[in-house]
Amino acid sequence: MEADELLVRVAGGDQKAFEELYALVSGPVFGLVRRVVRDPAQSEEVAQEVLLELWRSAARYDPGRGSALAWVLTLAHRRAVDRVRSARAAGERELRMARRANGPAFDHVAEEVEAGLEREWVRRCLDRLTTLQRQSVTLAYYDGYTYREVAERLSLPLGTVKTRMRDGLTRLRDCLGGVA
Amino acid sequence: MTSILRLFRRGELHSLAAPYALDALEPREHGRFEKHLKRCDGCAAEVRALREDAVRLAWSTAAPAPAAMRERVLLAVRTTPQEPARAERAPSRARRPPFSPFLVPLASTTAAAALVVAALFGMQASRTQDRLEEERAQAREIAHVLAAPDARAGTGRDTDGQGIGVVASVSRRTAVVTSSGLAAPQGERVHQLWLMRPEGRPRSLGLLDGDTPLIATELDPDASSLAVTVEPQGGSPQPTTAPVVQLALESLGFGE
Ligand SMILES: [Zn+2]
Repeated sequence: MEADELLVRVAGGDQKAFEELYALVSGPVFGLVRRVVRDPAQSEEVAQEVLLELWRSAARYDPGRGSALAWVLTLAHRRAVDRVRSARAAGERELRMARRANGPAFDHVAEEVEAGLEREWVRRCLDRLTTLQRQSVTLAYYDGYTYREVAERLSLPLGTVKTRMRDGLTRLRDCLGGVA
Repeated sequence: MTSILRLFRRGELHSLAAPYALDALEPREHGRFEKHLKRCDGCAAEVRALREDAVRLAWSTAAPAPAAMRERVLLAVRTTPQEPARAERAPSRARRPPFSPFLVPLASTTAAAALVVAALFGMQASRTQDRLEEERAQAREIAHVLAAPDARAGTGRDTDGQGIGVVASVSRRTAVVTSSGLAAPQGERVHQLWLMRPEGRPRSLGLLDGDTPLIATELDPDASSLAVTVEPQGGSPQPTTAPVVQLALESLGFGE
């Protein structure tokens, strides 16, 4: 069953459908949260909150506004980013950043446990972006920086960063092809 | 504001679609852009497409979630009420989900406990006060175990793949046990849960009753396993049959 159909059933209180949905999305949710949050214990905490939130607020999913996977992963990404921003505000984050400061932001793609085909593909496509496009996209999406912070880090005007983000994503789409 | 300025500001808002799709706006801008999205079809379409691109970035980070997480989430799902369907709502940027059994600090469990109780027992008006108190205390226990930093989950299955789901915390010496598709025994018989210990006889932890979670407290840290046997109505002082399901507690941190 597709994620879209599962989500609709979950919204109706179907626990079996939730188990299926869990099998489908727990890996991407966990992987994404861990990528952004880094800390394993916190990642697990955020990921399980997200998965439970899927159960609780499945009724909010509106098929007219995008795919179920986009909805699920957008939710996961927001929670992860919220967590990492409050941690960063608390200062802890800088310490961790300093520890792994040797290497460009893109490097941690290689850290991931599983080298799936999709991962390879995305990596290859990210490599085809210009450096600024790639950094603008990955600093925001994988590291949870706001576009203002990205502009600061890359010493670029705000307008340039917004454009690089859009061009980067569009180019990525062309490279990856329309279908997931 | 003059119309030129307004146009300018709108133009600026249009350019926020990409940072918005990447969750890279600051809270105030995020709010302003979400308002704009409701009125601007162009941005709505662009965000929809950019979101799907971001999904590809997300998908490529997939990694197997810890096995224990599944049991925790599924257990929580059984005890967590859902929001009623509401039209026109995107995932909100609420600072924190309204209720999360994983993170409930003990001091604030009362409200959460009431919710869990409502979910578990379908809160009926006919309940006596005593029964309500009992259920509330039980819900508090569940939240307490789920929130323990060393809480771990496991499952025990019988030959048909049916069994029990367990979330346990050694530090709190407590476990929450739920039946996971375990069919009710035939006739006037019941499922009884036992704590098996290397020294000493099995200790009864109570009867498993349908979907109602059983909370086992004062667990011995050196306990070796949980076992379910079929017993006559009311249970037995000691097991009288061979276990239908057994779960080693070592993987949950017991057996030191
Ligand atoms: Zn617009």
